[in-house]
Amino acid sequence: MRMLWNEVKKIFMWKMMLLLLFINSILYFLLIEFHIDSFPNGSGLYSYNVGVEMVDKYGATMDEEEFIDFKKMYEAKVEETNRYLQSREDFVAEGIDTYDKFTAYDWWNPSQEARALRDDVFLGNKIDLFWELQERHGLIEFHNRRKRVPDVLSDKERQRFEQLIEEEKFGVYTDLVIQNFKSFIANVGVAILFSVVLVISSTIIKDRSRGLLLLQYTSKKGRNLFKTKLLAGYIATFIIITSLLAVYFSVYSLNRTSMFFKVRVNTFIANESWFDPTFFQFIMICVAAIYLIGFIFATLSMVFSSRVPNMVSLIGIQIPFVVGFLIFGLNPLLPNMILIWTPKWLAPMSYGLMILLSALIVIFLWKREKKMDILQ
Amino acid sequence: MMLIILNECKKALTSPILIGLFIVFSAFNVFVIISSSDHKEELKMLNEIIDQYGRDITDNSLNRFESDIQIDLAKLNRMTASEFTSVYDFLDGLRFEDQEKYSDEQWLFIHRLQLKEMYLNMAKSIDESYEAMDIKKMGEAEIEKYLLSGNAAETLLHEYEKLSERFEEMVNNGEHKEWFFAGKAYFMHSFLFKTVFLHIIIESLLLIVLTTSLITTYEFESKTHLVAYSTKRGRKLMKDKLFASLAIATTIIVFLFAITLGTFFSVFDYSHVWKTSISSAFNWEYNFPYVAWWDLSVGTFLIGVIALVFIVLLLFVGLTFAISIAVKNSYISFFLIAAVFVLLWLLPSFMPTSSTLLFVFAYTLPTLLLAIRYSFMGSSGLILFENFEWMTMSCWTIITIVVGFMSYKRFLKIDIH
Amino acid sequence: MLVVKDASKRYGDFTALQQINLEFNTGLYGLLAPNGAGKTTLIKMLATLITPSEGEIQYNGKNILEMDEQYRELLGFLPQQFGYYKNFSPKQYMLYLAALKGIGKKEALHKINELLDKVALSDVVNKKMKKFSGGMIQRVGIAQALLNDPKILILDEPTAGLDPKERARFRHLLTELARDRLVIISTHIVSDIESIANEVIMIKNKQLLYKDSVEEICATLNGNVFETTIDFESLKAFRKKFVLLSEKQEYGKIIVRFIHKGVPEVEWISVPPQLEDVFLYEYRDEIEGEV
Repeated sequence: MRMLWNEVKKIFMWKMMLLLLFINSILYFLLIEFHIDSFPNGSGLYSYNVGVEMVDKYGATMDEEEFIDFKKMYEAKVEETNRYLQSREDFVAEGIDTYDKFTAYDWWNPSQEARALRDDVFLGNKIDLFWELQERHGLIEFHNRRKRVPDVLSDKERQRFEQLIEEEKFGVYTDLVIQNFKSFIANVGVAILFSVVLVISSTIIKDRSRGLLLLQYTSKKGRNLFKTKLLAGYIATFIIITSLLAVYFSVYSLNRTSMFFKVRVNTFIANESWFDPTFFQFIMICVAAIYLIGFIFATLSMVFSSRVPNMVSLIGIQIPFVVGFLIFGLNPLLPNMILIWTPKWLAPMSYGLMILLSALIVIFLWKREKKMDILQ
Repeated sequence: MMLIILNECKKALTSPILIGLFIVFSAFNVFVIISSSDHKEELKMLNEIIDQYGRDITDNSLNRFESDIQIDLAKLNRMTASEFTSVYDFLDGLRFEDQEKYSDEQWLFIHRLQLKEMYLNMAKSIDESYEAMDIKKMGEAEIEKYLLSGNAAETLLHEYEKLSERFEEMVNNGEHKEWFFAGKAYFMHSFLFKTVFLHIIIESLLLIVLTTSLITTYEFESKTHLVAYSTKRGRKLMKDKLFASLAIATTIIVFLFAITLGTFFSVFDYSHVWKTSISSAFNWEYNFPYVAWWDLSVGTFLIGVIALVFIVLLLFVGLTFAISIAVKNSYISFFLIAAVFVLLWLLPSFMPTSSTLLFVFAYTLPTLLLAIRYSFMGSSGLILFENFEWMTMSCWTIITIVVGFMSYKRFLKIDIH
Repeated sequence: MLVVKDASKRYGDFTALQQINLEFNTGLYGLLAPNGAGKTTLIKMLATLITPSEGEIQYNGKNILEMDEQYRELLGFLPQQFGYYKNFSPKQYMLYLAALKGIGKKEALHKINELLDKVALSDVVNKKMKKFSGGMIQRVGIAQALLNDPKILILDEPTAGLDPKERARFRHLLTELARDRLVIISTHIVSDIESIANEVIMIKNKQLLYKDSVEEICATLNGNVFETTIDFESLKAFRKKFVLLSEKQEYGKIIVRFIHKGVPEVEWISVPPQLEDVFLYEYRDEIEGEV
């Protein structure tokens, strides 16, 4: 235990922690801040408000009756808008005295006055009603198309679509919240991946290049210390991921999306998925995936750390792996891992394979370390 | 002297991982170019047009072009036994099952006609679209978009006024009336100067930062520092290391450019458009065409951008050198440089939107590199300033030299343990 | 009892050690050989850092690699060059190693103070090691090797960086230690072990040359070592003719010490051979090659 503690302490050098903090603050502003600061943003605000109201009123799902109620709300709002339009002489003069006429207007070829009026309600005076109605109208439109299946689908995708329709799991709630979370978690994944690689890479190579192995491997503990070092690396990885997740999720809580936690992922618009966890469960799955990614890359870092000749090679060799993962692996394996557009078993298979490979490499590495001649 | 530098270069050149990385990067670039070259045959249509009607778009040449298309249309009408006034009418009305009625040869003809019509229609609409552009209004829209106020708004408006003058001058010169690959269809400018160039830039940066910090910290990391810095050459060895890093960086840049751009231009035939103005109305991809501050041809623009990138990358050698000497640890240097790069790029977003600092802090090397496709352009949002490139370059050359020199001077005096 | 049985070490085509057979009991052994003779290879095999390509090493009849930590528990090792953490103090550093050696913290703290006192570092116990001189680092190294009160103590070039006073003190320490344990010292400085080693081991051409007491080894040259005084002018010719061991200037002439295995000349004075003489004689080719 004392040895493990010693090795963990060696990883958390204060210089490294400063660098970690510095890099994470930069990554925060580069990747994450936008998804917190600008949520909900522009018309998203109305989307968010309507969404919250729906969850409050109808709960985690919406049945037909509740939707009829929702439509009634819409009608009421339209009435309200009609009254507003009629109260504005300029609109009446343009012949737009009801909301129906407003939407039916040929906005592709508007008259000067009409365009000015539209800009006025949407941008100038920012009449909430118009924005909100647009949002509600969109939701109703989606609901009307709820039983439609896209044209180009693989057999499995089609089956899943049909199954969802049969089980009456329709996308009824705004996709804003879940899309925001997905962007957020993907970028958190990037930040954590960089952090883990940054801290863990340099652990094993340091003792190696300093010639400490001569003393370490001739002590009673001997080469078993290598296992302790690996374990210390994993513990450090766990600590880094957990603390960064704690920080980033406490920032995320500013987005106030907890009312959606019990909504199932298929109930969000355009988010058909292979499985149907609640939003909260989905968050937990993503957290688990981040831990997996972290541990896999920590393994990779330690493998290279115990092989390469110098620090520059250590960075150089990891660039293709990290960048390759970010380009090809991150989205299907993190935010979109259960989405219908990602093959159903891609994420579980990839993670399984990567874990298996990591385990094999670690075993191979240990076997090698046990027998290796220590020359330096 | 030369021998020392050569020996320093060797330290980077014999690192198998760096060489491997270079190969991976080159291969990736070639892959990216080849995998997005589906439309390379279509592009050749423009070369034919330039061959036939000249590079400049004049009323005369357009008339000739149009009458040739009329002949083609007549042929199409004979082929289909109908009365189309445009190939698009034919295509719109085409039913799925009718496709097989025509032979491959006929389809080729139809597609060529379609491309010709596209270019003709675009060319015919140039005057109208350019007349509708109000540069000053665009400035105001930018101000609203970024919620600028105070000094910042004023400065931006002022620059937009200048741009407006330049725009008029450009329209009068007819710089925009030269043939180029249709931007809205092929996005060749973005592909070359954003996708391809950014690949080269980021990859070169990675390699350069790694090699420079490797060479600079080599003695400390291989524990030869006590011997090396007490020789006759002594701490001046750092100077040789700088030259060696510059030499290696140059090699990396030259080869990466040669391989990548070599592939690009052998896949895409640019032979007819070198002299076309970069401000061509066809070089119009999004809401607004690319408008350069000066009358630059595509060829000149390319050379200018390469020179710009080359110098900026060499400046990064200097900055890495300065940081590496101070830190004496290549690992930390690398991450520091990466962090500083992003930090500099983000700087403007930390500035108040009412202050000109917003623009001043955009005069940084990362901003210049990442917006390389907007170099010399007036149509580049908040970095449209005419002096952006040369000011950024000269300021940062000075900063790099000062920082490098200070770091070096400090190194001459510090204790080496 | 530590036994090396037919041990060889090869790296590809290169042979570092060939067919070594050795036996160690309690006492002090000096491992004497010029650089590159395979000394460090042998030491590293004894320290389990490298495995013999052929043969094995046994402790009390058991293979040391199979004994694993049972063996290393008995082992104290000082490498020629060893790593340390620059920002650690000797105390932190030794605590770290004590943990690896499986010594409890309380016990370790006590032991560390005692040992640092023994190597005269008690006033820098809590200073960071990055400011230490080479000799101080070397003394930390010696202290750490003794941490676990080893039954087998292996020291690779332990006197490097020590001043004469420290050296003398160190020799005392070794004699004391060797009373009830096995101490192996590798060195190429003859005077380090001449007076204190129970046995000296010499390796030549990757193979064992001698393993005997100093007296016995010296006896191999009995009656063959001479001293005489000659002129400067004849020195060159003399060098060609005999194996010179040392030259000393005196009153414009030169006193030479050399080896001759035939009939001596009259003016030569026969002197008792020293360990250094054997060393110089046996490794004459390698030494001349080195110069």
